[in-house]
Amino acid sequence: MRITFWGVRGSIPAPGPETNRYGGNTSCVSIRTRTDELIIIDMGTGLMHLGNKLVKGEFGRGQGVATVLLSHCHWDHIQGFPFFPVVFIPGNRFNVYGNAKSSSMLEGILEGQMNPHFSPIYTLKNLGATIDFHAVEHGEPFEASGVRIRARPNPHGVTTALAFRVEEAGKSFVYASDVGYPDSGPSAEMLELYRGADLLLHDCTYTIDDQMTRRNRGFSSYADAASVAVTAQAKHLIMFHYDQDYSDDKVDALRDECRKELDRLGGESIGLTAAAEGTSIDL
Amino acid sequence: MRVRFWGVRGSIPVPGPQTNRYGGNTSCVEVRPKGATPIIIDAGTGIRKLGKLFMQSEFGDGRGVAHLLISHTHWDHIQGLPFFSPLYQQGNELHLFARQRNDMHLRAIFESQTEDPYFPVPMSTLKADIRFHELVEGQRFDIGRAKITCTRLNHPWIAMAYRIDVDGAAMVYASDTAPFTDILLEQEFIREPPILGEPIDPAKLAKLEVMRSGLVHLCRGADLLIYDTQFTQKEYCSRPHWGHSTPDDAIAIAREAGVATLALYHHAQWRSDDQQDEILHDYRAKTIGEPFELIAAHEGMELILGDDD
Ligand SMILES: [Zn+2]
Ligand SMILES: [Zn+2]
Ligand SMILES: [Zn+2]
Repeated sequence: MRITFWGVRGSIPAPGPETNRYGGNTSCVSIRTRTDELIIIDMGTGLMHLGNKLVKGEFGRGQGVATVLLSHCHWDHIQGFPFFPVVFIPGNRFNVYGNAKSSSMLEGILEGQMNPHFSPIYTLKNLGATIDFHAVEHGEPFEASGVRIRARPNPHGVTTALAFRVEEAGKSFVYASDVGYPDSGPSAEMLELYRGADLLLHDCTYTIDDQMTRRNRGFSSYADAASVAVTAQAKHLIMFHYDQDYSDDKVDALRDECRKELDRLGGESIGLTAAAEGTSIDL
Repeated sequence: MRVRFWGVRGSIPVPGPQTNRYGGNTSCVEVRPKGATPIIIDAGTGIRKLGKLFMQSEFGDGRGVAHLLISHTHWDHIQGLPFFSPLYQQGNELHLFARQRNDMHLRAIFESQTEDPYFPVPMSTLKADIRFHELVEGQRFDIGRAKITCTRLNHPWIAMAYRIDVDGAAMVYASDTAPFTDILLEQEFIREPPILGEPIDPAKLAKLEVMRSGLVHLCRGADLLIYDTQFTQKEYCSRPHWGHSTPDDAIAIAREAGVATLALYHHAQWRSDDQQDEILHDYRAKTIGEPFELIAAHEGMELILGDDD
């Protein structure tokens, strides 16, 4: 599979020259499977830019099908949806999986985003594409876009965010953004989900100091991410969801610190990438 | 007064090197009457950095007062509000003004922006004192020495234009609006755009003409007019029902109202800096000899109107 980053920023888009290299768009990652199927994880503003690419292919002709995995529905993970050009094209089909008690509750959350007070779209019914909603069963494997997926909820401030494990042909990619662990660290169940991942994308919102003073927000520091990668014996760690106030230079420094932390914890063999908008990793 | 642009982009923030010069943040303008507390127009993502700056003044000690005029509650005009730092400081006061709606109180509309599961901090728990003021079209009110007037615009779900008169000068903010010729935009959703050039329902046309003359009246003699010019002519023709104008529409209003400076604003999300330069360049050539100056708003642009210290 090929993983591509369309938005790597947390909380709110951060335009400006100081974010040009890593990018200022909010969370959105795509996966192209070996059979060329498409999986989208989270729908931050990066989704618009993915959509602008998709329009040129089968999605532009109304023949596209994609799986959408939603970690949770904070604005920075859904705000690109009304600007996803291919969702207006009849014939396209999207299967949206998210964290809700029922599929209709998940639909209701995205419907609220289109409310006429806030959006000129008024209702999801005005989107041309066919959208099916699925409430994810925690821990239960399911098949989508021809690959095996499992999801479990992580603590995220006063709420939870799903982490996803996507497996294809013996390779595994884990997406774990927006997570603030208790002092005891990730639960055994979460570590089981992360275990041995070839690629572990992990929330890396903060420096250690910023994480300490903002613990209630439910995000991780680079040190939390490094510790999780070592404990779960991940092969490669991807840093993601940088604070909106962090410049490119600061993210560079975060990556260097994260490398040191991995090494200090005995994870010298674990690869490290700070996710940057527009780049891809092949697995 | 001083007018400063913090967000000039329409619809959705667009980070990236192609927007470095004009800026990728959504709508937010700061108006600072001489020696007075700030008036902010719209709370797009641009308000985040304005809030940080405010925190270095009396807002940092919880002694700040700001007035916020909201054109309408589409995401790109309110999405920065939960990231406006002064709201997290006890003692600060924010007066929020927006058009009254039939179905919901203003407070409920804004509270639903931050409710579970969309945002982790509910507005009701913010430490600052937020007071809501509902407006009707044509209402006049004062903020300190500043005189505020407003009129409605042609936009889905209806937006308000504001005029601020203070320090011997006047500025008008007119975003978002479609021109007043092809389609009447109000509460209902319009699926298919009209065929441009076909005659429209006389009752609707009459309503549009009233709206337009209300706007020209609001802009009369203003030193600065900030206008939604999201579209090129070609873009407008395929999207007349989206509720945005072209520079030609703004120029016609500026000319009729006799404004001194017209600022192109609410730039399309797909517009690069170079393309925006080109638009400005082309329209400057077309408006040679007009009695107003044409500019294109960019993040960080500051204009001084009338008396200033
Ligand atoms: Zn997030
Ligand atoms: Zn707008
Ligand atoms: Zn609007």
